[in-house]
Amino acid sequence: MPKCIIDGREAEFAPGQNLIEVAKTVGVEIPYFCYHPGLSVVAQCRMCTVEIEKMPKLQTACSTAATEGMVVKTRSARAIQNQKSVMEFLLINHPLDCPICDKAGECDLQDESFAYGSPYSRYTEERRTYLDLDMGPVIKKNMNRCIHCTRCIRFGTEVAGIHEMVAVQRGNNTEITTIDGRPLETDYAGNYADVCPTGSLTLKDFRFKKRAWFLKKTSTVCEGCAKGCNMELHQDGNVIYRSLPRENMEINKYWLCDEGRFNFHYVHDQRRVLNPAIASASGLQMTDWKAGIAAAKAALAGRKVAILAGSDLTLEEAKLLLEVAPKQFGGAPVFHFGTPGIKTVLDDAPADKILKRKSKTSNLNGVEKLGIKPYAGLPAGIDAVLVVRGGRAQLPTDLDQAKSLVGIGVFNQPQVAKFAAVLPGASFAEKDGTIVNYEGREQKIKRAINPIGKSKLLPEILMMWVNQ
Amino acid sequence: MGANSVSSSEPETLYIQHFNEESRPLAFYLQKMGGYAAAKKAFAMTPDSIIEEVKKANLRGRGGAGFPTGMKWSFIPKQSPKPKYLVCNADESEPGTFKDRDIMRYTPHVLIEGMIIGAYAFGANNGYIYIRGEYVREAKLLNEAIDEAYKAGYLGKNILGSGFNFDLTVHRGAGAYICGEETGLLNSLEGKRGEPRVKPPFPAISGAFGGPTAVNNVETLAAVPHIINRGGEWFSKLGKIEKSGGTRLFCVSGHVKKPGLYEFNAGSVTLRELIYDHCHGILGDKKLKAVIPGGSSAPVLTADEIDVVLDIEPLMKIGSMLGSCGIMVVSEDTCVVQLLARITKFYAHESCGQCTPCREGCKWMEDVIERIEHGHGREQDLALLLDIADNINGKTLCALGDAAAGPVMSFVKKFRADFEAHIRGGKCPNA
Repeated sequence: MPKCIIDGREAEFAPGQNLIEVAKTVGVEIPYFCYHPGLSVVAQCRMCTVEIEKMPKLQTACSTAATEGMVVKTRSARAIQNQKSVMEFLLINHPLDCPICDKAGECDLQDESFAYGSPYSRYTEERRTYLDLDMGPVIKKNMNRCIHCTRCIRFGTEVAGIHEMVAVQRGNNTEITTIDGRPLETDYAGNYADVCPTGSLTLKDFRFKKRAWFLKKTSTVCEGCAKGCNMELHQDGNVIYRSLPRENMEINKYWLCDEGRFNFHYVHDQRRVLNPAIASASGLQMTDWKAGIAAAKAALAGRKVAILAGSDLTLEEAKLLLEVAPKQFGGAPVFHFGTPGIKTVLDDAPADKILKRKSKTSNLNGVEKLGIKPYAGLPAGIDAVLVVRGGRAQLPTDLDQAKSLVGIGVFNQPQVAKFAAVLPGASFAEKDGTIVNYEGREQKIKRAINPIGKSKLLPEILMMWVNQ
Repeated sequence: MGANSVSSSEPETLYIQHFNEESRPLAFYLQKMGGYAAAKKAFAMTPDSIIEEVKKANLRGRGGAGFPTGMKWSFIPKQSPKPKYLVCNADESEPGTFKDRDIMRYTPHVLIEGMIIGAYAFGANNGYIYIRGEYVREAKLLNEAIDEAYKAGYLGKNILGSGFNFDLTVHRGAGAYICGEETGLLNSLEGKRGEPRVKPPFPAISGAFGGPTAVNNVETLAAVPHIINRGGEWFSKLGKIEKSGGTRLFCVSGHVKKPGLYEFNAGSVTLRELIYDHCHGILGDKKLKAVIPGGSSAPVLTADEIDVVLDIEPLMKIGSMLGSCGIMVVSEDTCVVQLLARITKFYAHESCGQCTPCREGCKWMEDVIERIEHGHGREQDLALLLDIADNINGKTLCALGDAAAGPVMSFVKKFRADFEAHIRGGKCPNA
């Protein structure tokens, strides 16, 4: 492989690799704002300028490909002077409102300013301000904080495939906005907040909820569809505050769709059944585990039972069900369910040109590999159903035909109004396990928070069932 | 201004002698100016030998950068999967420049013929003239001339039986200075925001619509028919200084008795001769205060610095530039602080806003200079100004940052006393 020298360190590189990426491989950090590995290179922010031997002018590292024998200095006097001056330029019109800004703590502008800027400002003129603009339900815009890096514009046109973010006016008055001030249309809008290196585009959903530095991060996988996008869940005090995409170049690159990003909200839904519940004259009644299991057993006793397993269960959970079904449920047949109209992986297909799949559960491929057949209506003679699901698989509409219904897993109250008993289980955020995505890739989901309320993991519930 | 300013000391000029209304029609161009003979001659030559002839002519770009034209054309790849383009930069946006306007107004066919030859030389079948939006009349005249040329078979398919096709389109700009920068121009031509592109790739590799493109100034292209007609060597010898061939058009404005357009052999005249001999000196016989020699972005010269030959290298040697030859003469009763405030306001207004130093720095400089001009300056402001300018200069995406920084640095350094008088006196000492 060809080699170049960066700050005295020998670095190997692949032809075409830019200096920022090459420098990373030898532990040299070149600061940048407008560059993003998943977007085109525009060399606008000028933060990444470095000195290169035999070149009279400073060069932007983002737009310069490494060449054999190139000698790069990222911390020469001129490079440092330029980093200082770019930081000064970026901050003269910035409101410096970090104390009330959601981005603080994870803000590129704040971090680089701390590392490369000056603690003093020479600016005494009036700062530039912009009017506010409502950009729809996902993104909150604060143009005063913007540093005009245009990452959002490029994300829209290059990744989301929609030209909705634009620059209007010019020069010092340049405003980054949507065309005609319309609300955002893309269903990947959350990424606008991710790519923004400042607090100008933040998630309305996360706004003023939590300081970034309090959040504990868990690397996991999205359960929003069969794609299996990698994500992080951020929690504090056993409450999930948001999920962010996690880089995986083979699946979702740097991105996440809004459906997947905001999917976690059902975990903390007010209507979620968090206690064992049994049917009574006045509807579902909260009870304890002992009574709950007893009622569930009674509801199935003496009946012909079928087990419906959501294709949002993990491989381990589905396998466990298959193991206990013969002995504990009288050899009840097990079927899987998940997305209306998507019975097998053959029905699954991309739902758009970016990430989404038609199967809205994460483990369709996995449950199918275990030999579980798709649910296609109640088989003749079956009069009771045990539904086991995570929080994602959509309940079949014909369950009313069964005389007796029991649920184990994540349900909300309207879903289980006609159930005889419900035993609260764990959502994807509360358990570990394996899921298999549409292409057969096995991935681990990780427990981010402890099961909330009285809910328990499936093995524990089944153990109690067996022993009681 | 303009056509009547033919220099009497020169027996022949390439451009100025034809700057009158009657030269415009195709009939006149064909009968009196030997029109389209060069194109015919060019079609009999190989493309490479045309480029060779232009190289020999020492023709340097007349838009401001002074890049050798033959060299520029030779960078265009011979084989290209995408169509090649020849784009004429008729944006003429540098303040103080008004030479291209007269070429297009009075001798549009010279430009058209130059473009045909240039396009043939590197194999472009499409050409654009990107003309500034304010040149409404010139755009109309160009379109009329292009129509004439199409009718007479000088444009379109199989020009003069050569088998070469060339279509030419006039595209009007919308009034942005930055669209005179070649990649900003190309973006604007493609219907995008007029924002310069990252280079490399240079337009010669990936320009208009992604195809190899040469962007040439009007005056540059209008020189090409002369070069083909009379040979590169002849053209080169018109230049009286090394490396520059042909004649140059100088746009003189400001406080001289006879402002206007002047044409001289390259390197044959000094700034002093131009101002005092050809332009008859300063208005009201006042003293000379300053000269901006190459459009408003050129660093300013003081009255002591005008014994300089007007060409690229001599001006570069004394820290300024020839640029687009827009010479602005400033007499002693002008407030240079006010002048710099106006120039800086222009660049802050015209900055495209893409890159950080130019977007933030130009406005900052404007604010500080305006403060000084209005008597609210502080002692540290001059050091601050020089520092901001230095932080912009050479560190921006395109040359607009340099264009804004150059005047600030030169004005503050050369007329420091005027700035200090404003700061200490709290007002303009001349007011």
